[in-house]
Amino acid sequence: MAKRLKLTDISKNGDSQLSDIDVAALMPLPPPYDKIDDLPPIRPLTDDQRERLESNLDGIVALALPRPKNKEEEQKYIEQFISGLKKLLSKEDNWTFLQPLLLSLDYCARCQTCSEACHVYLASGKNDLYRPSYRSEIFRRLVNKYGKPGGKLKAKLEGNDIELNWSTVSRLYELAYRCNLCRRCAQACPMSVDNGLITREIRKLFSQELGWAPLELHEKGTVLQLEVGSPTGLRPAVAKDNLGFLDEEFSESTGLEVKTPWDKKGADLLLIHSAGDIISFPESPISFTIICNAAGLNWTLSSEIPGYDGVNYGVFYDDIQLAKVATRHAQIARALGVKKIVMGECGHQHKALMTVADRVLTGNLNIPRENVMTFLEEIVFSGRIKFDPSRNNFPVTLHDPCNVVRNLGIVEPQRRILRYLCPQFREMTPHGINYCCGGGGGLAVMSNVNFTDWKVYVAGRMKFKQILDAFADRPGPEVKKYVCAPCLNCKLQFRDMMEYFGAKEKSGIIVGGLAELIVNAMVDIKQPFITWGD
Amino acid sequence: MAKMELAGNTYEVDEHGFFQETAKWNEEIARAYAAKENVNELTPDHWTAVNYLRNYYLENGICPMIRRLIKETGFSLKKLYDLFPNGPAQSACKWAGVPKPTGCV
Repeated sequence: MAKRLKLTDISKNGDSQLSDIDVAALMPLPPPYDKIDDLPPIRPLTDDQRERLESNLDGIVALALPRPKNKEEEQKYIEQFISGLKKLLSKEDNWTFLQPLLLSLDYCARCQTCSEACHVYLASGKNDLYRPSYRSEIFRRLVNKYGKPGGKLKAKLEGNDIELNWSTVSRLYELAYRCNLCRRCAQACPMSVDNGLITREIRKLFSQELGWAPLELHEKGTVLQLEVGSPTGLRPAVAKDNLGFLDEEFSESTGLEVKTPWDKKGADLLLIHSAGDIISFPESPISFTIICNAAGLNWTLSSEIPGYDGVNYGVFYDDIQLAKVATRHAQIARALGVKKIVMGECGHQHKALMTVADRVLTGNLNIPRENVMTFLEEIVFSGRIKFDPSRNNFPVTLHDPCNVVRNLGIVEPQRRILRYLCPQFREMTPHGINYCCGGGGGLAVMSNVNFTDWKVYVAGRMKFKQILDAFADRPGPEVKKYVCAPCLNCKLQFRDMMEYFGAKEKSGIIVGGLAELIVNAMVDIKQPFITWGD
Repeated sequence: MAKMELAGNTYEVDEHGFFQETAKWNEEIARAYAAKENVNELTPDHWTAVNYLRNYYLENGICPMIRRLIKETGFSLKKLYDLFPNGPAQSACKWAGVPKPTGCV
C-alpha cells in the first residue's frame, strides 16, 4: 500500500516522486487477469526522460512538461499561477463556471464520501494521491491563501499553510490529469461539492494563464481541429474520400445501396460524428448512414471545417477553445439551414453542445440539438425498419458514457433498444450511476510517455472488472461477447484496455457502438454486419 | 524533444520513438527502425506497405484507415501483423517515418 500522504507533502521534496504505483496493491481482477506477472509491466521512465521532463508525481508522465532552466523561470510560473488563480475567482474572467466553482470551493466536510465513489481511487488500491479531495483541498487552501485578502496570515494562524512553489505547481498540473472529470464524486457528495469541476478549472488555469496544456488536447487537438477540421488531421476532402470508400465497401458487403449525403442544403438534420470513428471504427458512421437512409430521413453531414468532427476537447481544459469549436458547429448548422443538430456517439460532444455551450450559443446560434440515444430510439421503434433480434444472439453488455448518461440523465432509450434487439443483453453492476471507462476527461486521446499504462491499469481497471463480471457466466474466449460503448472516447479507452489485457484472446470480448447492433439486426442486411474483428 | 540515433545520424523523435523530421526520412532509417524490432531484412512486402503508408501520409496529411491499407496492399490484417511485429500503426507507420496518429483515433 502506498504511504499515507499529507496535503502539505505536495510542496516538499520536489525533485523526487510524491507517490508510486504499486501494481501488487491495485484492486484485484478476476482470473485469468489476476496474475501480475502475466501482464505487461508499467513502463518505467528512462534516465533521459527523467533528465528532460518533470516527473515528480507518481512515476507516470502524461504531460511531458520540460524541467525549468533556472529559478527565475520557476518563479515566473508561480506568479502566473497566482494571477490565474485570481482570474478564476472573478466574474469578468470566469463567467462560464464561476458560480459552481465558488460553491465547490466554499467548504468541504472532508467526509471522504467522494473517495469511495471514485473508480481511480478504489482501483489504485486506495492511494491518497488519487482521492478526489486531495487535489481539491490543496487547491482550496491555495485559493484561500493567495486569492483572498488576508489569506496568507490566516493560513499561518490556522495551520493550513501550503507553500506555493515549483513542486506544488508542477505536481498539481500533472495531478489535474489523473482525474476523468466524470463527476461521480460530485453526485455522491452530500454537499454537492464538484471535485471534477475543480479539477477542470485547475486545468483551465494552466491552459489559459500559463499556456500549459497536453499536446494531444491543445496543439494537436483544438488548434488542429480549427485549422484543418479535425484533431485526427483528417481534412474535409480526405474525410469525404474516406467515407466514399466506405460507402462502396459496405454497399458490397451489405447488399444495400450505402450512400452518405454531404453538405445537403435544406436537409432536416445535420449529423455530426466524431471524425476518429471514420478512421478507427468505420462501422459506426456507416451504420448511421444505413439507419438514416432506411428510415427515410432527410439528413446530411457537413464537410465544412470542423463540421464533420463533433469532438470539442475544450470541454476538458480551456473555455476559449471550447467556445470557438462549439460556435463553429452551430454556425455550420445555421448555414446549411437544418432544423437541428443530431450528435453522434460521442459523450463529450453532448456535454459541449447540450450543456456547456448553452451559455455560448445564444440568439440565432441557439439551434436545437438532439442526443443520439433518443434519436436512435425513435427510429428503431418507428416501424420503418424490419428487425430480426435473433441475429444479435450473443452476450451484450452496455457501458454508460458519463457525459450522456450520468451527467445528462439519458439512461433508458439505449436500454429499450438493447432489450428489444439483443436477446442476451445484460447490465453491468452498477449501471446508470455508472463508473467511467477510464478515458474520460480527455485521457482517452492522451498517450504521451508512459501515460497509457496508467490509464489502462489504474483508471480503466474498475470498468474492466465490471465488464468481466457482466460476462462471468460465459467467461471463455469461445463465446463471442460485445461491449456496447456508444461513445468514441470510451471505445478508444476500451481498445487500449482490451489490447493490454489481451481480452479478445483470453475472453472473446470486442467493443463497438450502439448503431452497429441496430444494423446487425436488420432483416435487409445480407450477411452479419458485426464481424468480430476478423 | 527526444532524440534517437538511426542509421548513423541523430534525429528528433517523439516520446514513443516516432520520427519527427518527416522530410529527412530514407530507406536506411526504415531498416534501422526494423532492426530495433528484430526484423533484420525488409522484404518487398514490407516495402509495399511502408511506401503506401508514407505516400498516403504525404498526400493526405494523415495515415490511411486500416481497411484501405488492407485493400490497397492486398495484405490481410494477420499478414500485416506478421510483417510488422507491433502492427500497422505502431510499427509500419513508425518505420515509414510518419508521426504517430493522434486525436480520437
